[in-house]
Amino acid sequence: MGRFAYIRKRLLLMVFVLFGVTFIIFGMVRVLPGDPAFLILGDRATDQNAAELRQQLGLNKSLPEQYWLFISGIFTGTMGQSLIYRQPVADLLWKRIPVSLSLALYAMGLAAVTTLLFGIGAAINRGRWIDHVVRIVFLFILTTPNFWFGIMLILLFGLALKWLPVGGMGETPAENLRYMFLPALTLALQLSAVLIRNLRSQIILTMRADYVRTARAKGLREQYVLIRHVLRNALMSTVTIFGLQFGALVGGTIVVESVFGIHGIGELLIQAITGRDYPVVQSIVVVSAFLVILVNLLVDLSYSFLDPRVTYE
Amino acid sequence: MQGRVTKLLLIVALCALGLAVACAPTPASPAPGGPAATPAVSTGPKVLKMARNAEPFSPFVPWQIDDNPALFISVNVYDSLLRTTKDGMGVEPGLAAKWESTSDGLTWTFTLRDNLKYSDGSALKAADVKASLDMARGGEKSAWKDNYKAIKEVQAPDDKTVKVILSQPYAPILSVLAMFCGAVMPADRAKATDTKDYDVAAAWKTQGSGAYYIEGWKKGDPIVLKRNPNYWKGKPAIDEVRIEYIPDDNTRVLKLQGGEVDIIDFVPFSQIAALSAMPNLKAQTFTIQQTAFIILNTEKPPLNDPKVRQALNYATDKDAIIKTVYFGQAEFMNSPIPKGTYWDKTVPGYKYDLDKAKALMAGSAGAKGFTMDMQVRSGNTNFANTAVILKDAWAKIGVTVDIQTQETSVVRANYREGKFMSTPSAWTNDMNDPTQIVNYAMRGGASPFAYWTRYNNPAVNDKITKADLEQDAKKREALYAELQKTYSEDAPLVFIAYLGATAGWQKYVDGFVIDGMSYYRFEDVKLNK
Repeated sequence: MGRFAYIRKRLLLMVFVLFGVTFIIFGMVRVLPGDPAFLILGDRATDQNAAELRQQLGLNKSLPEQYWLFISGIFTGTMGQSLIYRQPVADLLWKRIPVSLSLALYAMGLAAVTTLLFGIGAAINRGRWIDHVVRIVFLFILTTPNFWFGIMLILLFGLALKWLPVGGMGETPAENLRYMFLPALTLALQLSAVLIRNLRSQIILTMRADYVRTARAKGLREQYVLIRHVLRNALMSTVTIFGLQFGALVGGTIVVESVFGIHGIGELLIQAITGRDYPVVQSIVVVSAFLVILVNLLVDLSYSFLDPRVTYE
Repeated sequence: MQGRVTKLLLIVALCALGLAVACAPTPASPAPGGPAATPAVSTGPKVLKMARNAEPFSPFVPWQIDDNPALFISVNVYDSLLRTTKDGMGVEPGLAAKWESTSDGLTWTFTLRDNLKYSDGSALKAADVKASLDMARGGEKSAWKDNYKAIKEVQAPDDKTVKVILSQPYAPILSVLAMFCGAVMPADRAKATDTKDYDVAAAWKTQGSGAYYIEGWKKGDPIVLKRNPNYWKGKPAIDEVRIEYIPDDNTRVLKLQGGEVDIIDFVPFSQIAALSAMPNLKAQTFTIQQTAFIILNTEKPPLNDPKVRQALNYATDKDAIIKTVYFGQAEFMNSPIPKGTYWDKTVPGYKYDLDKAKALMAGSAGAKGFTMDMQVRSGNTNFANTAVILKDAWAKIGVTVDIQTQETSVVRANYREGKFMSTPSAWTNDMNDPTQIVNYAMRGGASPFAYWTRYNNPAVNDKITKADLEQDAKKREALYAELQKTYSEDAPLVFIAYLGATAGWQKYVDGFVIDGMSYYRFEDVKLNK
């Protein structure tokens, strides 16, 4: 099977998975106890106010009818009407998805840089102090919750050193690069803590391989051996984990966005869940699922670039 | 060989770090409006930056607003006939310069100020006031209709005169007309808001007569208030107010400390003292008409016995709660009515008295002790901490409190259906007249069942109606005094504290005030820097 047939198959599969996701999330948000009308109206609404609002928001409709509205909303692109904001969910998401996505990509970029730096650094200095320091520091990062770690970074870089803004968002892309550096770093360091351990051991393993010895014996320069022969082979499993961690990264943005006051879909999701804004919760979950599936597909495709021996069957 | 690779990696690492830091500008002064601002003499526009805890979600139409973040913006953009005074105790002229009523109290005639203009320069006419009030009291989407029930008709006989005709005398009418939800926008715009496919995004391009106007806003962006050159009170000192929202309390406080913003709201009570101690900052709790209390379900035995409810009140050490939960930033609550108009300071309330509580319990339906649930909304730390203190305190009079933490929506559904024994809650007045709280919290027999306590005292219900109709201020005050006394004695609530609203700002900000209705207006704020 060629690469395109493979992609086609995976895309088809994706449709089924997404359909399953819509079904599960639709059921889950409705199993949650609590009436959105009371949350929207607050404490002081009378029963009559609540009944009127329920009518207005279409909460009286039967479940199959509501599910149909949800699905048709996805196809028409409006994603339904937000209960809290009283406007199409798509309008809310279009503003926020780029924010979260750029945060995730920024974090992935930083994670890639730190992973390569410290992974290679630790591997070639195996058993020496650099190796120990890298392992201990990143073990510490791995085990601390990211909201705490984020606050520590704010205190250090935002308040004490005043190098970077404390939180919020900038108004131009260049400003945003600065505003999002700390949140992206928070996410990136946690992600790379997982990746560094993996890359380090893979490099160490690969360096023992026969062809590496041959390459050295040929008299190739060490950098060349490391980058052309060792790293490319060692990266395979790291890239896989990188892809799998994207889901965790999307989850991590939810907390980090709240701590740093970044108005992405993570923050919107928290608001929507606490406010029982069903259409918003549903849409965000479907969109996130789509992104995670897409990234995993891209990861699978990247194998053939890293290792020409890989074929898709 | 390996040494060379390590060196290479180190250089790359240093470059990466350097790049990240190089992006940062020098941390001199937080440059308003972009990096181009000149540090020496600020000749550019005066911009005030604020970070607050939430962004608006209601449509930005005065009578459709039912969330505080939208409401706080609204009072800076739209104006109503009358205003509540800064202390929240009375009304003062707004768009109307003067008013008078007929002796039967049924017809109120308001005369608008001269030369009233909207932010775009067009004239504000009496017909606009009529159209807006008609929407507020009768519009399909109005969230505040109930407040205008007494109004039969609004007329605009000429461009400067508005007549409000009541179906029966209604004493709080001036307070009602000072509420934010009756604010004025041009008649055609007002009418358009009630159509079925009204575009809520359009409402953010405002045309009001308030101190500021908004050119448009998208959720997630900062809200930018621009100075209204035609404002009837004169041009505000600040050209532009930029309000961003930072939901996390700590981040907001850090942004203030870091000098990134000039003002923040909702400073945690625990941090007021620490922020105020800093040389360049000020933080304060403002008196607003807010109360914190425990709702008791008076239908569930033994809570149906007033003695049990009184005992719970006496067994509650309010001072301890004020000190530990609210860090001293609250006051003893003696009456169900918040500290505003007709609040009666002579009502004794329930000072902590364990012996009295024990004696009351001994002679009550709960003499043998009992267990009761206290349903606490998850995420509200003040309520949760209060519940823990009460569990401990009430154990001393034989009451076992079963704290059940649940989501807000679940707790609300439960108390509406009467499926609870007790739950912590809080109230804020939207108008400077007790009619709102009294009708909500004291009137029984129908939803909302005296704040869901299911307390129902026909004598109290009658007095509430009487007080609404009474035109004589002295007699009204006497009626409310009686109501406060009776309700306090019957104790369907455990009264805890009067709460304030908090804010923090840089010392160069002058004149920032949260008023008695918990609004803040930027019209009198100045920047001394």
